[in-house]
Amino acid sequence: MRALLPSTLLALAATLPAQDLLVRAKTVVVAPDTVLTDGRFLVRDGKVAYVGSDVPADAAAKATVVDCGDAVVVPGFVLAPTTLGRDGDLAEGALPFTPDLRAAEAFDPWQDELAKLPRAGFTAAVLAPSPRNLAGGLGALVKPGATGGRVATADLHLALSLTAAARNPERPPTSLMGGVDLLRSAFAQAKSAAAAGPDVAVLRDVLQGGRKVAIAADTLVELQAALDLARDFGFEPVLVGARDADKALPRLVAQRAAVVLAPLAPEMRRAQLELPARFAEAGVPFCFSGNPEQTRLSAVLAVRHGLDRQTAWAALGRATATMFGAAGQVGALRQGCAADFAVWSGDPLDLGSSLRAVYVDGARVHGGQPSAAAPAASSSSTAAGGR
Amino acid sequence: MHRSLPLAAALALAALLPAQDGVTAYRNARILPGGAPAIANGTLVVGGGKVLAVGGADTPVPDGATVVDCAGKTITPGLIDASFRAGNTPDMNENGAEVTPHLRVLDSLDPDDPSFVRARSAGVTTVHVMPGSRSVIGGLGVVLKTHAADPQAMVVKNDASLRIVMGSEPSMGNRAIRGGSVDSIYYRRPTTRMGVVWAARKAFFDAKEAMEQSVGAPGAPPSPGMEVLARVLRGQLTAVTTARSEQDLRTALRLATEFGYRTVIDDAQDAHMLVGELKAAGTTVMLGAPSATAVAGSAASDGADPRSATVRLLADAGVPFVITTGSNLAALDLVREAMFAARNGLDAARALDAVTIAPAKLLGIDQRTGSLQKGKDADFVIWSTDPLDPAAAAASVHIDGIAVQVIR
Repeated sequence: MRALLPSTLLALAATLPAQDLLVRAKTVVVAPDTVLTDGRFLVRDGKVAYVGSDVPADAAAKATVVDCGDAVVVPGFVLAPTTLGRDGDLAEGALPFTPDLRAAEAFDPWQDELAKLPRAGFTAAVLAPSPRNLAGGLGALVKPGATGGRVATADLHLALSLTAAARNPERPPTSLMGGVDLLRSAFAQAKSAAAAGPDVAVLRDVLQGGRKVAIAADTLVELQAALDLARDFGFEPVLVGARDADKALPRLVAQRAAVVLAPLAPEMRRAQLELPARFAEAGVPFCFSGNPEQTRLSAVLAVRHGLDRQTAWAALGRATATMFGAAGQVGALRQGCAADFAVWSGDPLDLGSSLRAVYVDGARVHGGQPSAAAPAASSSSTAAGGR
Repeated sequence: MHRSLPLAAALALAALLPAQDGVTAYRNARILPGGAPAIANGTLVVGGGKVLAVGGADTPVPDGATVVDCAGKTITPGLIDASFRAGNTPDMNENGAEVTPHLRVLDSLDPDDPSFVRARSAGVTTVHVMPGSRSVIGGLGVVLKTHAADPQAMVVKNDASLRIVMGSEPSMGNRAIRGGSVDSIYYRRPTTRMGVVWAARKAFFDAKEAMEQSVGAPGAPPSPGMEVLARVLRGQLTAVTTARSEQDLRTALRLATEFGYRTVIDDAQDAHMLVGELKAAGTTVMLGAPSATAVAGSAASDGADPRSATVRLLADAGVPFVITTGSNLAALDLVREAMFAARNGLDAARALDAVTIAPAKLLGIDQRTGSLQKGKDADFVIWSTDPLDPAAAAASVHIDGIAVQVIR
C-alpha cells in the first residue's frame, strides 16, 4: 500500500522534463567558508548547477523561483556513521572480520530513522556497519527522499572497530591484543601478492590510498593501536568515538587523523565541552556522532565553549562528508554538489532558529514551500500560506 | 653554594619543576644501593634523569645543585615487580585459542590502570607484565616503568618474555562433550591438566618441526606464533612458566627439558618441595606472594601448599629467586612481600635485592635500573624509615628523576 502512491508519482515525475529551481535567500551558506548575502543558486537535475553571480540570466528567467526571503539557506547536514537503528542488520555477529560486507545491502529506504532526518535539517547519513565487528564492512552514503530513501554512494569507507564492543566473549578475538593482532595480520597479508579474495581487495584499496578508513576506538590504548595501524600501513584514519582523544592530540595532528566525537551534552565536564575548540585550534577535523538532535546540539555547545562558527558548521556536514570521502557530493552547495539544503529562520547554531524547509536532490522533503512558484508572488503572502 | 631545602618543600618543588631539569643531591640518607653494601650517611646525586653519583658523606655535590636533607630516611632503588598483575580485564586473556605466542600484552595495557598508581605509590618503579593466565601459551610480556605520559614511553623492554601456564587455569571455562553448546568457542580442549600440557607440547613440537623444515626451504615465512616459539627454543627469548603446585612445577621442568629451552618459574608456591630439582635445573624462581597464606588466609593456589619459609629455603640452597606480587589478588605491596620474606628468615639485604637488582638482572634491564649506580636511570624511593619495617612508607618515588609520588 505505502509503496504504491510514491512509485506512481516517481513514474510520473520521470516522464516530465525537470524544471530548474532558482533558490534565493538573504543568506546562502555555500560552504562553511563561503557565505553569500542576497545569494542565489540554480538547481538542475537535482544538483547545484550555478552559484551566485555565475547563474546565467536566461536560465534564471526560466527557472521556478524558490524565494526564501530573509532565511538562511545552508547545505543539508550529514549524519556521521550510524546504523540508523538497524544494529541487528549491520553487525555480522558470528564473524569478527568481514571487511567486504556492504552496509548498502542492509539499507531499507523506508526506515523510520531515515525519514526523520529532514525534520532536523539532515539530508544525508553515513550508514555504517556496527562497531561490534573488528572489520564490519563498507559504509554507504544514504539519503532520505519524498519517495523513499536511496543509496547515493555504496562502498564508501571501511569501518573497523577496536572498541570493547568488538571483543566478543563468544568468538575470537575476545581481547584487545587479539583484535590488534588480527587487524595487523590482515593488513600485512593484504600487502603480499599471494593473498586474494574480496576481503583482501578491500584492504588493498586502503593500502593504495583509494578508500577511507574509520576506526572506532575509545580508550587511549585503543586509539594508540588504531594510530599505530594507520602509521604502519600508511593511511590517515578517521577515529570514531575517541573518548580519550585529548590525550592523543599530538599524534592525531601528526598523523592527520580526523575524529568523530561522541555527542556533547550540557551536563558534561568543561574539558569535554572545550575539546572541539582545542581540536579546531590544532587543526584536527572532527564531526559529531549521535542522533540528529544531539548532533546539532553538540555543535551549539561546542560554539558556546569556544569553537568558531565556521568550524561548527563544518562539523555538521562539510567535515563529515570530507572525512568519509563524499565531499564532492554533499555538505556544500558548490557547483556539481547535490542540491541538498535546508531553509532556516536564522543561523542553525542559534537554538532559537527554526527549520522552515528541507530539500534533497532539489526536491522538498520537509516543511512548506518557501514561496509560490510565480516570481510575482510576494514573500510575505507566501510565508503566511506556506506552512 | 648549595640551596638547602627541607625534604617536603624540595619534593613539592621538584614535582612542579619541568622534568629532569637541574641537579639534585639527596644527603644524609641511609642508602641501600642494591647489590652492594649499605651506606650509612650517604649522598645520592641525580640529574638529567640519571644517577650522577652515589656514595658517602664526602661525595662531591656539583655547584648549583638543589640539596635535599634526608636525615632519618632510607633511599633504595625503585622496586621491580617481575610478575605484576596490571588490571583485571578480560583483555589480558585471548580466549579464542589456547596457544597465542605472538600476542603482545602491551596492546591490551591501559597506562591509566589503577594498579600502576598503586604500584608506584608503594615504591615500585618498574614492572614486568605478562598476558593473563587463561591461555596455555598466552603471549609476550613487557617491562614497563610505572609512570609515563603514554604507554610507549613506559616501555623499558618489549617482548621481554613468553608466558606459559601449567595447572588448571588454562582449561577453566573450556567445555567437554557434556554440557555447553557445541557451537561455542569454549567447546574445545584442553579441559584437563594433561590437556594443557598436550597443547603446550604440540605447540613446541610444531615450532621445532617448522624450524627444521625452514632450514631446507628458507622461502616460506613461519607463522608469527611459531617464530616466537622458535626464539624460545634458540634461547633468544625467556620463557616464564606459571606453575604453582608440585605436580605443575615438575611438569614445567619436564617440558623445558624435553624441548631444551630454559624457563623461569612464576608463582612457584610449592618450590619448597623440589628445591634440589630446581637447583639442578638452574631455574630462577619467581615467588608470588610468600605472605599470601600467612596474611590473607587461603590464596588461589591451584592445589599448592605454600609455606612461609620457602624463600629462605631457596636462598639457603642457592636457587636463584626474585620476589613478586604474582598473580595473587591477595598479595600486598611488593615491599611487604620482601618484608615477610625477611621475617621468615631471609637476610634483609637479600630480601631487598630480590625486589631490585635480582629482577633487573632476570629481565635483562640491569644496565638501566635495579640499583643505584652512576649512569643508571634515576629510579629511587625515599622511605620514611627502613623499607622492611612494617611502618615504612614511600615518602617520595622518583622515576627517571621525576618525583611521581610525594607524601607531604
